[in-house]
Amino acid sequence: MVVTSAPWLLTSAVLIGLRLTAHTHGQGNFGVVEQIITIAYAVTVVLSAPVQVVVSRYAADRLYEHRLDAIASPLRRVLALTLFGFCALGAGVMVLLRVPLGIAIAGTMLTTVVGAQWLLLSVGSGLSSPGVVLRSFGYGAPVSVVAALVLERGMELGPIGYLCGFALGQLVTLVLLLLGITRAIPDSADEDARIWPACVEYRLLALSSFAYHLSIWADKAIVWLVLGRDVAALYTASAAFAWFSVIPAFAWIFVQIETVFYQRFRAFYGALEGGGTLAGLRQGALLLQREAKRIVRGASLVQAGVTGVAFMAAPRIMRMAGLPPEAVPLFRIFLLGAALQVITMLAVVLLYYFDRRRDALAVSLVLLIGNAALTLFCWSVGLPPSLGYVLACLVTCLLGLVLVRRRMDALIIDTFQSQAFGAS
Amino acid sequence: MISTPRVDDVCILIEGTYPYVSGGVSSWLHDIIRGHPELSFSILNIGSHVGVYGKPRYVLPDNVAALHHIYCHEAIPGVLTNARRDALNDEIRVLRNQRDTRVGPSRVLSALKRLHLGDAVDAGLLADLVSDDLSVGAFLHGRESFQFMSEMAEQLAPETPFLEFFWHCRSIHVPILRLLSAPIVPARSYHALSTGYAGLVGAAFSVRSGRPLVVTEHGIYTRERDIDLANAVWIKDQSDGLEEEMGFAPTPSPLRRVWSRSFAALAKVAYHQAARLVTLSDANRAREIADGAAASKITIVPNGVDVDMTDLPTDVVPPPKLQVVRDAGTQDVVPCHRPRLRVGFVGRVVPIKDVITFIKACNLAMATVDLDVRIIGPAEEDPPYAQRCRNLVETLGRVDTIKFVGPMPSHLIYRDLDVVVLTSFSEGQPLVMLEAYAAGLPAIATDVGACREMIEGVNPADHELGPSGFVTRVATPIETARAMITLAQDPALRRRFGAAGRHRVVGFYQRRDMIQSYRAIYQDMVSS
Repeated sequence: MVVTSAPWLLTSAVLIGLRLTAHTHGQGNFGVVEQIITIAYAVTVVLSAPVQVVVSRYAADRLYEHRLDAIASPLRRVLALTLFGFCALGAGVMVLLRVPLGIAIAGTMLTTVVGAQWLLLSVGSGLSSPGVVLRSFGYGAPVSVVAALVLERGMELGPIGYLCGFALGQLVTLVLLLLGITRAIPDSADEDARIWPACVEYRLLALSSFAYHLSIWADKAIVWLVLGRDVAALYTASAAFAWFSVIPAFAWIFVQIETVFYQRFRAFYGALEGGGTLAGLRQGALLLQREAKRIVRGASLVQAGVTGVAFMAAPRIMRMAGLPPEAVPLFRIFLLGAALQVITMLAVVLLYYFDRRRDALAVSLVLLIGNAALTLFCWSVGLPPSLGYVLACLVTCLLGLVLVRRRMDALIIDTFQSQAFGAS
Repeated sequence: MISTPRVDDVCILIEGTYPYVSGGVSSWLHDIIRGHPELSFSILNIGSHVGVYGKPRYVLPDNVAALHHIYCHEAIPGVLTNARRDALNDEIRVLRNQRDTRVGPSRVLSALKRLHLGDAVDAGLLADLVSDDLSVGAFLHGRESFQFMSEMAEQLAPETPFLEFFWHCRSIHVPILRLLSAPIVPARSYHALSTGYAGLVGAAFSVRSGRPLVVTEHGIYTRERDIDLANAVWIKDQSDGLEEEMGFAPTPSPLRRVWSRSFAALAKVAYHQAARLVTLSDANRAREIADGAAASKITIVPNGVDVDMTDLPTDVVPPPKLQVVRDAGTQDVVPCHRPRLRVGFVGRVVPIKDVITFIKACNLAMATVDLDVRIIGPAEEDPPYAQRCRNLVETLGRVDTIKFVGPMPSHLIYRDLDVVVLTSFSEGQPLVMLEAYAAGLPAIATDVGACREMIEGVNPADHELGPSGFVTRVATPIETARAMITLAQDPALRRRFGAAGRHRVVGFYQRRDMIQSYRAIYQDMVSS
């Protein structure tokens, strides 16, 4: 659990701190820095999502097979490709943004580092190495904040110093991840090992992850296209702040999923493989089902609480964030959407757990297509485009919960009756 | 012009032997078919999977119009490629998502449930069983079949690991469903040469066509399966570790019972649908009745051999030979007379024949008498077991005296033997004993099937002939060894037993009588 959620939380915290610091410092180029960081994370998260899924599963499979020597060689190739690809992509984005050279170089470096960081995070996650991951992000996050402040304020380098400082912290994380993973895998490497078969095997998961992460940006891209850059900036900023409201629920979900739920999950499949009777398996499935319901209920309550508070405090939050008063209603709509989306994400995580790749893909695609289509629809009929996002989240959330419920209800029968027999 | 399918007089249903395996039931069937040139036959061979058989061992007689094959399982798949695995998963997904178009529950499943959990087989159950409303795919991946399996597990093996039960349950039912949906072979009558899968297909064809079924049981199928199941290593017995530590055998898995019940259920289906049941002996008849067969349906038709087929010397026992025995302790070479008995085991080298016990018995006997032992019969049916037997011979240091000579033509087997020994766990009415008798040889056989009555006589007239050998207990090498020693040391007794056997086969086990009995049965069936 901590393997996946802690880095996300640390990064979010750093980003919030950066954003608030950038605004309160009140210098013009901080807007550009903020934009670069947002784009760097958006691009890397979306594009590396499918790679992360495949690499993480590949590493987990090799760990299960006790074939860690088959990790190094494919990882080297994928890492080289990632570094090169995100470097080129980052440079391209900087050219499009027409930013000053110093910021462009720092922005390109940040995009490259973050892209590679996500890749190594997935390997660490696949290898179940929480120590490596936590240590890397635990050291990197404060370095990012401190270095950004030192370079920007202490050395008075301004926005470029801030960006370089932040990127430096992320580089520290990347290096620590790389060292940790290198130590975790054996020196001898199977040079014939290939990751392509895993790409084929996990293609549905990769596609699902890609669609999910892309869907986060679909409405923003449409708003940018149809309403222009300024409106899109306000839209995106409001959405980003609203999205931070999911952090408590998100943390709660991951803690619950990877502690009690994971134990129940292991107990069920352990009993299955370890000679459990039908009655025992039914009991295990029932406990798992209850646990899933409890997590959904709990996450809903946590999120409802945070959403309620944020809803009430919306004017103050927007003021603190330096956003204009017209962002308040937008922020409130996004709060609803974010609340629904976090439950959707919980459903997707549960579907991943039970290896329901098609179902997870269906949810992600519905979110992607729904978000794009309903945003466009709302705009075309004169409604706020953000309403489209909320509706898409609502539909997807309901779909996800229905699929999870169906899966939980039929857990035993699906587990058994999906097995092939001979060449049947 | 619409061509109508050919309808033969008799469709023989047989599990995996004829024409691919020699001896035993195969040679019996070959005789039966050749003995009825006026009838046309088709043969439906039921095998485990495609490719399981080699070349035929028999040239089919002219009155066999067709040889059909059906298989309990699909061909064994090779290594699954990613593409094949994906295709397989897609197939399963489609099957899982298919909506059940039936109005009510599956009749086949309902019949299977009654068959496993109930005791009575009736016409309604049979009609449901052959209704063909459940595909193999629907069974493997459907909701209703899972409920059926769950119910079976709860009632038959509630404490068994469900994962194991699940795979065994699938393994039990997939062959049944495949065979139940096999296309019918048109015939005027059906003749199953066992219960089990052959009996099931025979019953299904009989119900669907309205034509009569006759079932012949040589060995009792359910008993033979029980023996197999008792030794099956593919069923894991339950052990808590303590049992192993204390040297106790683990608790037998209830799955052995589940399998056993399923074969017993198949036997009941065949017994119910059969118009006639034919068996070889009173012992078999009693067992069939105990297993649910109606006594009124059972006819006893003993096996028979052609008594003129062998060149029969009446004085087959050779005089004792002068041999040189080396005394290991003194290295002295002393001439002495030790009786030397030529012992033959004639049959397939398979576990059910318990060749291991035979070898052990020979080894024990060789401490007292000299034996020249030949194991005559095919060894390719169960190569690991055959190898085990060879290894035992080697370990015992008897390679020079216990020889595996492979299959031989019947007329060449007995001329070089003094006695035929059978140590089987199960037998019907072994043809090898009849052939040995016809050759004037005595027999030593375990007390299974009709062996006792073949040695001691079945009726007063038969008893008067006197014994024609020794009956021993199953898996008791010492008894078999003692019998061999007695025969080796008493040539007169051998001659007496041989003569009794010869008279017995002439009086009660003639091939022409057997053919005549079947002629009457077939005529009755075909014309009904």
